[in-house]
Parts: sequence; C-alpha cells; structure tokens
Amino acid sequence: MSAVNEETGEVHFFDPAVARCPHAAYAEMRAKCPVARMSVTGMPVVARYDDVAWALRNPQLFSSDMSAQMKLGNERPMIPQQIDPPEQTRYRRLLDPLFSRRRMEALAPAVRVHANQLIDAFEKGGECEFDAAFAIPLPCTAFLALFGLPASDLQTFLDMKDGIIRPAKYLASPPDTSPESMTAFLAAQDAYRKQTADQMFAYFEDEIARTERRSRDDLLGALLGAEIEGQKLSREEIFDICFLLLLAGLDTVTATLGCNIAYLAENPEQRQKLLAKPDLIPGAVEELLRWETPVTAVPRLATEDVEMRGYQIKKGDIVTLLIGAANTDDEHFSDAQSVDFERERNIHLAFGGGPHRCLGSHLARMELRVAMEEWHRRIPRYRIAPGETPTYSPGIREVMYLPLVWDA
Amino acid sequence: MRVRLHSDKCVGHGRCYVLGPEVYGEDERGHCVPAAVEVPPELADQARAGAQNCPESAIELEED
Repeated sequence: MSAVNEETGEVHFFDPAVARCPHAAYAEMRAKCPVARMSVTGMPVVARYDDVAWALRNPQLFSSDMSAQMKLGNERPMIPQQIDPPEQTRYRRLLDPLFSRRRMEALAPAVRVHANQLIDAFEKGGECEFDAAFAIPLPCTAFLALFGLPASDLQTFLDMKDGIIRPAKYLASPPDTSPESMTAFLAAQDAYRKQTADQMFAYFEDEIARTERRSRDDLLGALLGAEIEGQKLSREEIFDICFLLLLAGLDTVTATLGCNIAYLAENPEQRQKLLAKPDLIPGAVEELLRWETPVTAVPRLATEDVEMRGYQIKKGDIVTLLIGAANTDDEHFSDAQSVDFERERNIHLAFGGGPHRCLGSHLARMELRVAMEEWHRRIPRYRIAPGETPTYSPGIREVMYLPLVWDA
Repeated sequence: MRVRLHSDKCVGHGRCYVLGPEVYGEDERGHCVPAAVEVPPELADQARAGAQNCPESAIELEED
C-alpha cells in the first residue's frame, strides 16, 4: 500500500501496517511530498530532516503550546512542554539539573535491580508477553524511584497514566458506530480523563504534604524546595510538572523497549553483535532510537502563515513533525536505511531538538541501556513465538503484543 | 585543534560529553562546557566524535 496519494498530496500515516514498518512510507513522503496533507485532519505533515529540525528550533513560529487544542483532562498547560521560551526557559533552568545525566546515572543501580526482579518472574518459564511482563512495568518502577514513591504504587501509577492516555480501556465499548454513539463515547472518554486528572491531583497533593513533613531528597522534595526568581513553585505548578512527567515518561520508554527487542528478535545476526560485544549496547540504543523512532511524530501549532517547500502552512494549523522520517533521511545519515550500531555520526532527533529537547532523555537512555544489558545477560537468545505477529500502535509505536519464547 | 562552542545552540542533548568525556564537560543543566579550547592531539578523536554527533551543530572544530 502506498502511504502517499500524489494526486491529492494526502498521506495516510496512522495505519497499523505503517506503524509496524514505517520506513517505506517515510521514504515515499520525503521524496514525493516532503510537506503533505494528512488524510482525515487535512493538517500538514513535515518529513525531511532539515525542515523538522528547523521547526523544532523555531518555537516562535511552531509553538509547543497546544493546551487549547489538546485537552487531556488538564486545566492549565503542562509544564514545561506546553509553554514556550522565554517563560519555558525559567522552568527548564530549574528542571534540567534534576534530570541531568549525572543524576539519572545515580538511579541506574535501582533500575538494574528492578529489571532483574521482573525477569526473575518469568525467566524459567521460557516465554513472556514482553510488553506486559517487562516493557510496561520497568519504566514505571524507575519513575517511582525517581519520585521517591513506594514501589507498591505501581498499579496506581499505571492506571493514572492510562486513564489519561487511553481512557477507552476503562469504559464499556460503544453499542454501535452511529454518530450519536461515537459522540457519547468521546464525551465519556473526556469525562474519564477529567476524573483521572482530579485523582492524580489528589494523589500528588497527598504526597506533597507527606514530603513537606519529611523533607525528602528526591524529585518531589527538590520541586518543593525549588525557587524561580526567589519564588517557590505553587502547588499547581508542581502538579502541572508531575502531570506531564507521568504522561511523557512512561509510555515512551515502554514503546522503545518493545521496538528494540522486537527488532533484535527478528534480526538475530544484529543481536549476536551485542551478545559478542556488550560494549556496543549504548551505540545500539542510539541507532535503534534512530531506526525505530518509537515516538514517530511531535505536533506543533503554527503561529503565523509559513511557506515550506511550496506548501502553505496556515496560522493555527497543527503541524505534524515526522521525526521518524527525519531520522531516516539520506541527506543526514550515511547509509541511512541500514542499521549500524557503530555509526560514526548519529544526529537523530528521537528526543526532539531545540529548546523543548526531551527533558527525560538522560533518564530514558539510562533505562534503555540498563534494560538491554540485563535482558541480554539473562535471556540472550529469544525469538518471537512461532506463528505469532507483533502488533504496533500508530503514533507512539508501542509493541502492544510481543510474545517471546526462549530455551529456559 | 581548537573547540568552538556555540552555546546559544546547545540544548543539553549531552552527546558530546558522553562520546568525548575528556574534551567536553557539562554544567549543572547538562549543557556543554569544553574542558579547554585547545585539544591535545591524543584527544582529537573524542573531540570529533562529540562535535559530529551534536544534533544542534553547536560545536565547531578548527583543525590545525
């Protein structure tokens, strides 16, 4: 199936078959319509590296504040994602040190312990569904450690995140596909998001009160002690930061773990390189971030009319920056369609770029490295269960079904 | 070889100080701080690895 309709300039991107293997669609878009119109929404999609990078670095033209367009149960913009410079810079000055590589590396031993505890539960059985057994819980336990919250809150955290990101999971399916039923179903999802957001606020309110009493040396403690220009953060600001961290920090790492292991299960000759030389793992993490680009795209709001490669982007358009297509652009990567764990120059934008560069990138890199090291140390030879096919979700390419088997 | 950092472009990806730890350091925010302007010959490979892997093209190297 072609992803691009050249006559209309439309692309069908959010398709499960494309999500599983998007590289041909990316190449087609870069070549035929580097700025295309998305089917259904009619909004622009940008596919070439130079254009994506330029938009990411120009938030005055391509704003990250879509709090008015994208309601996720929050009443105020999420901090710092939905705020642009110069205001955003004040928050990043405070948050960047809390997410620095040094600070994240200090969490590596805890993540290593958690990874091994998860593997202990299924290693001897010789099989697991990777997403549920490993990819979903691992980033969440890392998060609990970062926040200084008890590991027993795992399920609460997962339900809060999913209540916002995929509320349909908690609701009865609509009785039919009539417009009335679908409208009611969308309204029910919004109501569930709002209810979950209120629940999260209560949860963090409670934890903040506890932290104030104990003055802990963890993320919540640091946020409580933090000041911007001599002013402490308000409860709302702390919550708006926590809300974003919970939504942005869990699914993304889950998806990346799934994409990595699915790729290595299907490409045993590449996996063999890592088994022979575990020092290649950091390079493999970078290369698979590039090749798989689990967060395929980020949206931006056009603040003015902009012409890009002859395409008229209108003020108010939601522009999709197709990071996955940028990361496989031959103009910026030598032999871009090959996976090379020893790539000399890898300037991928999997964590975005410009002032909104992913705050959690150092956390994610540490989690991915530790998880890949421990998984391959304990379960070096795994394959996809015979007769099964992994399923990928569009947008964020989570491998929602990844049945693995190995000789126990 | 000399390092020229365009600090206005640096946003803290941190590739330079991971790939060239003896040439590039980090400040409190995780932004690049070159250890010295002048790179000794034995560290030239680290300097190049850090510079060419910066997604923001924030590092320029002046070869002798």
